[in-house]
Amino acid sequence: MNNTVNVAWMYPDILNLHGERANAKAFELISKKMKVKLNIDRIDDIDEKVDFDKYDILLFNPGELRVINALSNILYNQKDQLNKYIKDGKIIFITGTTGALFAKNIQRLDGEVFNGLNILDMDAKERNMVIGDDLYYTFNKMDIMASQIQMIDITLNNVKPFANIKYGYGNNGTSVEGARYKNVIFTNALGPVLVKNPWFTEYLIKLACKNKKMKLKTNKISYDLERKSLASAKEFIDKKLNEK
Amino acid sequence: MKKLYFILVLWGVKFGNILCKLFHKAGTMISGKVAVKFQKDFVKYFTNIDYDKVIFVTGTNGKSTTTNLLYHTIKTSGKKVATNTEGANMMSGIATTLIKNSNIFGKFNKEFLILEVDERSLRNIFKVLPAKNLCISNLQKDQVQRNGDPDFIYQMFKNAISKDVTLFVNNEEPRSRSLEDYAGKSIYYSMEKNSKTFEKNGFYDVTMPCPKCNHKIEYEYYNIENIGKFKCTNCNYKSVKKANVTIKEIDYENHTFKCGKDTYKVNYINPFYIYNYALVISVCKKYNIEYNDIQKGFETFKNPADRREVYNYHGKIVHYLRIKQENPETMQNALDTIARDKRKKAIYIGLYEVKDFPPAYANTFYFFDCDFKKCVSKQVEKYVCFSKTVAFDTANRMIYAGADEKKIKVYDVEDDFNKIFSDLDNLKTDNIYIITGMKPYKKIKAYLKKGDSNE
Repeated sequence: MNNTVNVAWMYPDILNLHGERANAKAFELISKKMKVKLNIDRIDDIDEKVDFDKYDILLFNPGELRVINALSNILYNQKDQLNKYIKDGKIIFITGTTGALFAKNIQRLDGEVFNGLNILDMDAKERNMVIGDDLYYTFNKMDIMASQIQMIDITLNNVKPFANIKYGYGNNGTSVEGARYKNVIFTNALGPVLVKNPWFTEYLIKLACKNKKMKLKTNKISYDLERKSLASAKEFIDKKLNEK
Repeated sequence: MKKLYFILVLWGVKFGNILCKLFHKAGTMISGKVAVKFQKDFVKYFTNIDYDKVIFVTGTNGKSTTTNLLYHTIKTSGKKVATNTEGANMMSGIATTLIKNSNIFGKFNKEFLILEVDERSLRNIFKVLPAKNLCISNLQKDQVQRNGDPDFIYQMFKNAISKDVTLFVNNEEPRSRSLEDYAGKSIYYSMEKNSKTFEKNGFYDVTMPCPKCNHKIEYEYYNIENIGKFKCTNCNYKSVKKANVTIKEIDYENHTFKCGKDTYKVNYINPFYIYNYALVISVCKKYNIEYNDIQKGFETFKNPADRREVYNYHGKIVHYLRIKQENPETMQNALDTIARDKRKKAIYIGLYEVKDFPPAYANTFYFFDCDFKKCVSKQVEKYVCFSKTVAFDTANRMIYAGADEKKIKVYDVEDDFNKIFSDLDNLKTDNIYIITGMKPYKKIKAYLKKGDSNE
């Protein structure tokens, strides 16, 4: 379907920690507003061989670390196809702990170390204390506001960060947030990040359209409610910073 | 030497309690805190405790209600029981309970000890108080800022449970039931399909990974969100066909249900309560407490932790439902309550930023774990979303659930209830629902009481 953006919602029941099914729904709603045809397939069975060629966006929401270990073993068998998908400039959008799936090594609290897919050159280490806070950063002149529940610390090796932080913990408490290699985007921003930041959802859809040379109608969308939400959250963060 | 030190600490805190009582000062609650500060393993030195009659109750939702119900039922049957009903469910709270229920030498003076235990404290409490019974209500997402994800707590449970323990678990809750692998014996409690059972087959409906093999869990039906007859799509893990205790023939209108041959009549009835009754019956069975005694307990039970209140505000019936923020199950329960009321209504939702632990943050993601669609209908005259920081996100959640944008009103104000409820008198409907977390509870309660014609 050349006039349709195809999204694979990867393992919705397995990778589902913080209401991220909303991100799939956001693709549906925002694409409608953009007047772009978009189709979402659920990939439910972790043993299913995925036909990556069919898709333009792979959506990986956060999952428990024990699940990440299992998925890493399974997806490793399809790494060549996945590498081809990435080389073609197609999009993989990854949030939260599932970043570990694309990392090199993952160290768990009990000392266990397992390998990720080594697509993003970074390492992950499970934390013994959870950090929960707001996360606010800018990317491509866009404000991105979300929450973060940090179960792992991420150290980037030879991969570029995705964004610079304005407020929050990010990868490991420094000002660095996420990672990006070609169009493989990893962010710590959890929950309905694509609902709260529809301009970012629009960016991902436009990028997918550009990849498949789909023509887009110029269509300025008003995100009044989301802009107001962003303003409230910024005010809340300012208040927190002033109280420090 | 340690025992001697224990006696000295015990005398100190008991003397402190006497002084507090003499001078009418609140302080008895902190005696456990002081004792544990002086002696970390203080709880370990109490004597005359029959560990086979020590019952821990833990889990994400329903700990307090289950503990209260279990305590009340066993006590009503004529047994001597101690509990931490005040909800002090960590080490210091448990020390307080033992101080209150022991003599000056630390000799425990009751037959049963029923304790609500905080999930994160379970392992350490087991070390000093090796209970032989553990009841787990369920293990769900909760307070993610503290607990991360359910597996984080699961690992803690797994490390706390030993083969000496009899586990009482919900046959329809996949995560907590799988802890059966680590216990000596497991007792399953269950609820049959009933008039409030539902199915979910929507494109955006999600389940959970199998706790045993990480594949998808499928539900044949749900009794509560995430709880129902399940099976793994890969391994053999599933709800057992015949649980040890199964509740059936539930009559929500007449407040009755059957268990075996016995018919129970109860005060409170909804699917959450039914599971609590099932759990309590399974524990009572272990101690040969008979039907008549259990029934007596159930019919006289008053829940101090009930989260529903009803007000008559300016002639309108206001149902005030409190939820635990960051806890999708309590929120879903509130939404289900509203959805079951098919009459015309208005819905007020005040979801605030989360301030349980520093730093406070504007978490809104648990909204999307819940099914708001059930509450969206033509019967809703107005949806009012309020709170300073996340009111717009709440409104957006309603829109994502299909609510008519024209019916949504947003008040991004902090506790200005005159403004928030300004339109309430003008609504055509007399049937009002309010959902909030704990934060504005006292203020809203005071506001509604002022206008309550029954007050």
